[in-house]
Amino acid sequence: MRPLTEQETQTLFAKLANYTGASLKNLITPLDDSPNADRYVFRLVRDRVYYVRLSIANLASNVARDNLLALGTCLGKFSKTGKFRLHITALPILAQHARYKVWVKSNGEMPFLYGGNIVKAHVGRWSEDCPEHQGVVVYSMNDTPLGFGVTARSTAEARRLDPTGIVCFRQADCGEYLRDEDTLFAG
Amino acid sequence: MAPTRTVKNKHAANGSGIKNSKAARGPQSDGIVKAKKPGSKPTPTSAKQLTKKKKRKVYTEKELGIPKLNMITPVGVEKPKGKKKGKVFVDDTESMNTILAIVQAEKEGQIESKMIKARQLEQIREARRIEAEKKYEERQTKLEETKEGLRKKRKRPRTGEDETDAVVKEASVTGSKAKKPKKKVAFAE
Repeated sequence: MRPLTEQETQTLFAKLANYTGASLKNLITPLDDSPNADRYVFRLVRDRVYYVRLSIANLASNVARDNLLALGTCLGKFSKTGKFRLHITALPILAQHARYKVWVKSNGEMPFLYGGNIVKAHVGRWSEDCPEHQGVVVYSMNDTPLGFGVTARSTAEARRLDPTGIVCFRQADCGEYLRDEDTLFAG
Repeated sequence: MAPTRTVKNKHAANGSGIKNSKAARGPQSDGIVKAKKPGSKPTPTSAKQLTKKKKRKVYTEKELGIPKLNMITPVGVEKPKGKKKGKVFVDDTESMNTILAIVQAEKEGQIESKMIKARQLEQIREARRIEAEKKYEERQTKLEETKEGLRKKRKRPRTGEDETDAVVKEASVTGSKAKKPKKKVAFAE
């Protein structure tokens, strides 16, 4: 377990900034104003990045490397080429700070949760002024985050699209908790 | 060992007038060789040699920092001089904040440029659409006009030269029939 290097931090933040707005800096602000206040930090265990409280991370340093399975919230993993891949486990953090959102109608929830892209017919609401290829967080109509994806069209273009046209490419959905159960937390 | 000299005339004295005699050339000596004091006077030739040797310092390739020829050095293998070994971690809030600010500014710029581009494209598309609509309208009105024109053209001759037209029509319909009697076939009784 180790902190991230500068390069790794940059890669991670660049990925998170795809989905979030300016409030992202709240992620790393100290919890209170005292000089030795507890704060959240990023820790790399093997190739996975965890978002964890500093006090817990310090405690976890007592656990042997082989015995430490996970700590805090897993945000994703670094690929062998040095890119960062967000996991569905990062959804609560992304949903808190999301910049662009897509609300899916109830008839579109299951197709999305089974790993499908979002078609126009299933979109209930949609953030205005969203550009193309921009990260969006997908919600159900009762504001439950379901996953996240990347827009296929800008909002203006999507209006002219036919109902079967794809408006959002899926990146991760809650169905992965079941589908990728074996590999999501270890391996 | 002292250098040996051949003495041509041993007995020639200094003042004897014999030119090449040993006694006449050098200072007066009794034939006793004095031992030289060590280090009293260094010979000039040896000093020159020493200075030359100092100047000719041989540098190794490592000292000069010349890259080795015909060798491929992978990126990870060649370590920069005077740099600390290992990774540099970022764990303090300040540096994290700076990195985050840089990244966010970059993303913001990207999104902004995307939006501007999208808006421009949208404007162009809108202008094209309006132009196309206008053209379609024009074409439609032209078509209507020509249609109207054709209708009027058709109507005019009927109203103006109604009688002649009717005669011509009759003639065209019945003219040929009237001239030629129809052939009839009947069964023989």
